[in-house]
Amino acid sequence: MILVVAEQRGGALNPATWETVAAAQQTGESITVALVGADVQKLAAELAAAEVAEVLAVEHDALEPYTPDGFVAALAQVMEKACPELVLFPHTYQTRDYAPALAARLGRVFIPDCIASKVRDGQRVFVRPMFQGKFMADVLPQGPAPHFASFQIGACRADACARGAAPAPVREAAVEIDAAAIRQRPEAPFKEAKQAVDLTQAERIVAVGRGIKGQEHLPVAQDLAKALDAELAASRPICDSGWLPMDRQIGSSGQTVAPKLYLAVGISGAIQHLVGMKGARTIVAVNKDADAPIFEVADYGIVGDLFEVVPAIMAALEGEA
Amino acid sequence: MALRRDLAGSRRETPEKADVERETLDVDVLVVGGGPAGLAAAYRLARLNEERGGEPLIVAVLEKARAAGAHMLSGAVLDPSALSELMPDWKSRGAPLDLPVRDDRIYFLTAGRALPFPITPPPLRNHGHYVISLNRLAKWLTEQVEAAGVDVFTGFAGTELLYEGDRVVGVRTGDRGIDRHGERKPAFEPGVDIRAKVTVLADGVRGNLTKTLIRRFSLDAGRSPQSYAIGIKELWDIDPQRLAAGSVIHTMGHPLRFEEFGGGFIYALPDGRLSVGFVAGLDYRDPLFDPHVAFQRFKRHPLVASLLAGGQMVRYGAKALPEGGWHALPRCHLDGALIVGDAAGFLNSMRLKGIHLAMRSGMHAADVAFRAVRENDVSAGRLSEYARLVEAGPIRRELYPVRNVHQSFAGGLLAGLLYSGMSLLTGGWWFRDPMPAHAGHERIRTVAKYFGGAAPPEPPSAPIDRELTFDRLTNVHYSGTRHDENQPSHLLVADTDICRTRCMEEYRNPCTRFCPANVYEIVDADAGEGKRLQINASNCVHCKTCDIMDPYQIIDWVPPEGGGGPSYEGM
Amino acid sequence: MKIAVCIKQVVTRDWPLRVAESATWVRDDDASFEMNEPDAYALEEALRLKELLGGEVVVCSAGPARVSQVIREALARGADRAIHVEGEALAAAEADAVAAALAGAMEGESFDLVLTGLQSDDQGFGQTGVVLAERLGLPHATIIMEVDVADDGGSLRVKRELESGWFQWVSMPLPALLTIQSGINQLRYATLRGIMAAKRKEILTVPAQSAETAGQRILELYVPEKSSATRFIDGSAPEAARELVRLLREEARVL
Ligand SMILES: Cc1cc2nc3c(=O)[nH]c(=O)nc-3n(C[C@H](O)[C@H](O)[C@H](O)COP(=O)(O)OP(=O)(O)OC[C@H]3O[C@@H](n4cnc5c(N)ncnc54)[C@H](O)[C@@H]3O)c2cc1C
Ligand SMILES: Cc1cc2nc3c(=O)[nH]c(=O)nc-3n(C[C@H](O)[C@H](O)[C@H](O)COP(=O)(O)OP(=O)(O)OC[C@H]3O[C@@H](n4cnc5c(N)ncnc54)[C@H](O)[C@@H]3O)c2cc1C
Ligand code: SF4
Repeated sequence: MILVVAEQRGGALNPATWETVAAAQQTGESITVALVGADVQKLAAELAAAEVAEVLAVEHDALEPYTPDGFVAALAQVMEKACPELVLFPHTYQTRDYAPALAARLGRVFIPDCIASKVRDGQRVFVRPMFQGKFMADVLPQGPAPHFASFQIGACRADACARGAAPAPVREAAVEIDAAAIRQRPEAPFKEAKQAVDLTQAERIVAVGRGIKGQEHLPVAQDLAKALDAELAASRPICDSGWLPMDRQIGSSGQTVAPKLYLAVGISGAIQHLVGMKGARTIVAVNKDADAPIFEVADYGIVGDLFEVVPAIMAALEGEA
Repeated sequence: MALRRDLAGSRRETPEKADVERETLDVDVLVVGGGPAGLAAAYRLARLNEERGGEPLIVAVLEKARAAGAHMLSGAVLDPSALSELMPDWKSRGAPLDLPVRDDRIYFLTAGRALPFPITPPPLRNHGHYVISLNRLAKWLTEQVEAAGVDVFTGFAGTELLYEGDRVVGVRTGDRGIDRHGERKPAFEPGVDIRAKVTVLADGVRGNLTKTLIRRFSLDAGRSPQSYAIGIKELWDIDPQRLAAGSVIHTMGHPLRFEEFGGGFIYALPDGRLSVGFVAGLDYRDPLFDPHVAFQRFKRHPLVASLLAGGQMVRYGAKALPEGGWHALPRCHLDGALIVGDAAGFLNSMRLKGIHLAMRSGMHAADVAFRAVRENDVSAGRLSEYARLVEAGPIRRELYPVRNVHQSFAGGLLAGLLYSGMSLLTGGWWFRDPMPAHAGHERIRTVAKYFGGAAPPEPPSAPIDRELTFDRLTNVHYSGTRHDENQPSHLLVADTDICRTRCMEEYRNPCTRFCPANVYEIVDADAGEGKRLQINASNCVHCKTCDIMDPYQIIDWVPPEGGGGPSYEGM
Repeated sequence: MKIAVCIKQVVTRDWPLRVAESATWVRDDDASFEMNEPDAYALEEALRLKELLGGEVVVCSAGPARVSQVIREALARGADRAIHVEGEALAAAEADAVAAALAGAMEGESFDLVLTGLQSDDQGFGQTGVVLAERLGLPHATIIMEVDVADDGGSLRVKRELESGWFQWVSMPLPALLTIQSGINQLRYATLRGIMAAKRKEILTVPAQSAETAGQRILELYVPEKSSATRFIDGSAPEAARELVRLLREEARVL
């Protein structure tokens, strides 16, 4: 049996949960989903729509808000009773915060940040990036089950999660928590306008290079970024000229990013730039030189003048919106 | 843009801001440069401290590289004579010399063929020498030097000499934490004044401190102008069966023409690792000559390509070397300072060997500095003993007989070969002594002159496949070069107007060709009209070629923030 | 306050790495190494806390002999002494093994605060700190952007980074462990005096004890393959643009 640990905050499921359920479904094993919190019945019912064997509602007043101590204590008890062979998490900041401690407490292995799992020579292995995405590794968990693994957000598609013919049963899993033993006292989360952009968190990036010719043409790229709800980034010459701030530079001396979409306009694709964005899921390049090295990493390429192609993309986006 | 950079560049002359609190550090002998010359000097001083007893001299070494040896680039075949004298027990101390030269060949290359020289001329014979990585040797030597009680400060560049009157009294290290506009960043850390009784300048070829010293005191008056070459090198991993470890190959000819000086080298290290390099004299006439392209063409020659096929390039780098020889040596002693190694020009260009001479000169300097400090007399007169040691010892014995070799190559390869052969037979005597020579940058012709007013033919090129041949930017990636990008440019171009006007017209911006790291680019001007010079200072591999070769002599290489630069592991 | 900072030595960020012959690790015998970036920020944070509150900063590193390079760098920046848990196998060890090695050497020291980086640039497990907290029995918080120590020195209030621009303050009693995010502060430069002083500082070298750890074995390390060849979209600019938008919506599903 595979146990998927769902994640919720403030009455809403983290959508990454569906991705992890989908990843579990691909193994063909029976799946139990555990949801931890103080009052999670409603969300548990939502989860029960997925094609899974069972949903466990792990409820206790001390489990809201999230604390690593509380979650480790609760899930350790769940594991002991449920005896899964494999435990899967979405690789969120919350998972990173407590899952390693949970695994350590139970003396189990935790393989984080996986992008896939597969069977190799009859054994289940997990595929994860190493050395900042320069390499992939097939990792075999050792030691007694359950093995723990977390899946990178976006590794699986949430809409690939199969729905069951009928809702799965929801069961309450009682846990004992000593509220006084929880050492962390969290305050309410708050949003803060970051002083610096964090391109590493951006889902979509439009990156502009020297093909843009002059600062006065920058709005061409800015408008495209806005239309795509993307962050604007650049190659070094653009930042070096002061047309964009240095924290928007992608590459070996700038940021390393792995967004879902990376749209490079007027960028040649020098190796120092490529190392910063090769890991993007979908790469689009617009360049008038068909031999530009950027096309070696691009999924989609348009050979053409960016001053024609970019406005056309804007028009196409508007046309279909 | 240009204006801003120039302003940033001029920070070095601006008077001290009042609020800088500069630390000072007092030592007896300060060595600037942690190459073989500087490290040999430091080690010798530590030994003398031990042997002579008494109050030990305080010795420190400054090195601009982030880590020991990281800016070392050499062939290298090592003549161990100096090391053996410096440290007779080098073997038991684990010196990284474990591969004796076993086979030594020279080829003359035509475009498609390699003609072996039937016998290797005596000075090129490498019997008893070792194939090494200078980076490893310097790392190991640094460990020995530190264990002997010397402070080695890596990541600190000497940016200015300190004077009392005309006496050198130490070095100021560069300020760190200045942004590209010349403003202080929060982590700003002012440079330190290191005061020393004797400063040993071991800052390598075209060292920035040595350069200012030579100018200020005209140390080269009456000497031939120094001439230089640029060496570009890659490390490759190939099938170890292809070339036995310890093999040494030198080539002449293709892709150079008779009017150009230089050649290729291939040294086989253990485990299928090859050191493949190309040296081109920085006194070529053709303004369109491109050393990086020459290196690519060298690799495409069947002799080289067949060795490299299927292998993998793992490291790249470039560095200049002094080739003027005996007659180009400046005066190397002055009040409070001595100049050693490549900084002075102690390199035997005939044998493409400078490490042992660098070490030897460092050892002489250490002996003299030690005695001078003990006797409390560091005047130029006292330190002139250094010149006497050089004259009476192995350095002159090696350099004097080949003193005219490089100059003779200025007349072209054939004349050079003939001449150098005669030099060796005759002990170096030839028509004139010394031969006249011009500084290399004075030999480069304008496009109009070189091509006689005709439209220049398409210069030779090499297709880039990123397997055997590489573009500059990909190559630079393999040099491990890194600088904090938010700092002022360390390439001070006195007048960037010349670049887009006269130079473009006269020489077609040779900096875009002779710089092996794509630092200089001519791009469209911001306003959309005309062109301008773009300086990608953070690409710089510290080879010093631009400082040497720019025809107008308006480029000044100064050290970037300490720790910046290449990372030449294994080179 | 007695602060421990755990630092790791990793291959320099843009070193052109290759997979070793064994295909289970990289060829790093000739690589250049540096301090793992977030660890450098953790060290800086510790030094700042010490400047504010007094006490001692001890750097701890588990790894082969070569890690003495980053240990010395940390001492030059201002750490007071160091513990080096030495073992060749630690070079490529998984997080649990590293945490066990560190815990073994740190247990007797009773640190008030332990700082680690949030993850390493090489393996990127991001769990050494959390597992170490568990092994030392300390409360912990991860991805920390700000650290406040209460006036009485008995507790902490720290700012944790959550996803997409959200943050949260968390309090906990001391002793505790924090994993530090890069960029929390401004790194200082090592100074000449710092480097000289570092020579006289104590580095305690202890051999790594083999501990029971849950294992993960790398079966194979490889260069990720590009899933498909580049699809060039032809046609006039408007045609190509329309086709691109369609593909991004329907095939790549990124819009
Ligand atoms: C140590 C070091 C660190 C570096 N770090 C970085 C880094 O972090 N990030 C980085 O980006 N670079 C970095 N570089 C620089 C890098 O090598 C390249 O120089 C740089 O990425 C080139 O930027 P670019 O592609 O915008 O410009 P170019 O290489 O000049 O390319 C411009 C492209 O635009 C195309 N183009 C021109 N006009 C049009 C048009 N009208 N329509 C469509 N296409 C057009 C051209 O065909 C060309 O391909 C670094 C270099 C070094 C040596
Ligand atoms: C391609 C090539 C191949 C060669 N092959 C051979 C060979 O096979 N055999 C041989 O014997 N020789 C060879 N040489 C020559 C040999 O490498 C040099 O002669 C030797 O390295 C000179 O030693 P050095 O200590 O004087 O200078 P360097 O080795 O150049 O060392 C100078 C050091 O000073 C540092 N430095 C410079 N300025 C400053 C500053 N301002 N502040 C702080 N630090 C500074 C530099 O970073 C550097 O580490 C070759 C050279 C080249 C370029
Ligand atoms: S800028 Fe000058 S010193 Fe730097 S790599 Fe280019 S030629 Fe060499």
